[in-house]
Amino acid sequence: MKRSDGRTEPSQLRAFAASQSLLNRADGSAKFSFGESTVIASVVGPAEVKIRDEKMDEATVEVIVRPAVGFPSTKDKLLERALRQTVEPTILAGMMPRTLIQIVVQIVQEDGNMLSTAVNAISLAMLDAGLPMNSLAAAVSAIIDQEGNLLLDPNSKELENASSVHTFAFDNTTSYNLLLSHCIGTYSQEQYLDCLDACKHASERVHSFIRTAVEKRIEKEYQQLQSS
Amino acid sequence: MVREAEPSLNEKQFVLRALKDGLRTDGRRPYDFRSIQISFLSEYGHVQIQLGRTRVTRVSAKVTAEVVRPRPDKPTEGLLLFNTEISPMASPAFEIGRPSEEEVLISRTIEKALRRSRAVDTEGLCIVAGEKVWSIRVDLHFFDHEGNLVDCASIAAITALLHFRRPDVTVIGEEVTIHPMDQRNPVPLSVHHIPICVSFSFFADGELLVVDPSIIEEQIREGDMTIAMNIHKEICALSKAGGIPLEMDQIIRCSKIATTKTAEITELIQKALADDKAQRQSK
Repeated sequence: MKRSDGRTEPSQLRAFAASQSLLNRADGSAKFSFGESTVIASVVGPAEVKIRDEKMDEATVEVIVRPAVGFPSTKDKLLERALRQTVEPTILAGMMPRTLIQIVVQIVQEDGNMLSTAVNAISLAMLDAGLPMNSLAAAVSAIIDQEGNLLLDPNSKELENASSVHTFAFDNTTSYNLLLSHCIGTYSQEQYLDCLDACKHASERVHSFIRTAVEKRIEKEYQQLQSS
Repeated sequence: MVREAEPSLNEKQFVLRALKDGLRTDGRRPYDFRSIQISFLSEYGHVQIQLGRTRVTRVSAKVTAEVVRPRPDKPTEGLLLFNTEISPMASPAFEIGRPSEEEVLISRTIEKALRRSRAVDTEGLCIVAGEKVWSIRVDLHFFDHEGNLVDCASIAAITALLHFRRPDVTVIGEEVTIHPMDQRNPVPLSVHHIPICVSFSFFADGELLVVDPSIIEEQIREGDMTIAMNIHKEICALSKAGGIPLEMDQIIRCSKIATTKTAEITELIQKALADDKAQRQSK
């Protein structure tokens, strides 16, 4: 089976790419891409919080999504909400009461799969910012196309031909808990479980990629420190 | 919400005293621009500009085109729109949905320098008079604010407009065909001239001036001025919104500095565009 962007397997993901600490004003920042889909996330916090958003026992998490073109629309607001609800449980917000964690997501290039790209970018940015966290979220999307095939990491062309779109995020604890299940379209229970299973295996790969990316960066920083 | 941390009294005095000796805290001379790095992304009209090496001001511009109905009062003119909303990514001092004075000034200056100076030929964007025209939109993304967002944004916007290619169109009678990029070579926009913004900050009652202020210089300055100029030594826009009053000689000196800076920057942009073109053709 040949896919529109040259991939040969339905379970094949596009190439991952990531870079960390690319911005200087934010406390933490990262860029993550699945093929052409690219997102930059920045994290500031713990910072001063507006009184009306202040929570007495934990930090307030705010996510802002900026589209690549035009002004933020309802779609971006929906994305903001999904992202906040996904990453909030991974932050140890109780350690930073009455503060603000502000996450800004800038979409650089869109080619399907924005929700999962953004989740992964935020995870890396939060790691870079050194926020106290209990686990790390990683997400992957899948579609069921008109012919009933399950395709992982769809691009925008494949999304046009989808009968249902599923995005799942998992944490990296031993029980590998589900953090997000975002589905659109009509699908059967078996198809849902198939997608869940496929995305779970794929997000393990994303987790290990994030791990290598962070390891490599720390190794490089350590070498620079020793040589100077 | 979070305000930009104000520099301490000691920092202020340090910067000012250094300026009196003709030195700046980042090692530049007063009339030096930071190094400009231009990088093109995979799509046409998507550019990222960096000012500086370590503490960087970073802005990217993305140009997109769509076909719309023209304004009834200008049936033969295409549209050119700028989106300059600054996200808190650049600095936590910027808030979403509530533009600060600084943000409004930045977007007005960009608009005046690039749109009102008629840098882009909007009549050339007409497809069918009164029916269909191209609407070109420039989205500016501000990533890092280390001073002088205006100049960085203006360079990003004009470079992106120069780099952009729109799909080719043929009109036969009433029939309009838009050719996809892979079937027929896309066409560049016709750009009349290249306005470049050059910003100045003034200190010590207008006696000291620096080009391309860093963030700390912006915070302690007494006045500022932005001149948008093109390579033909024409002033396209001049913005001096408040601050200390300036002598006429000072303004003339600034415009002379702007002439040389504009020539340098224009050359840099054209070289970057030529390099990118060569690279794309060799692929």
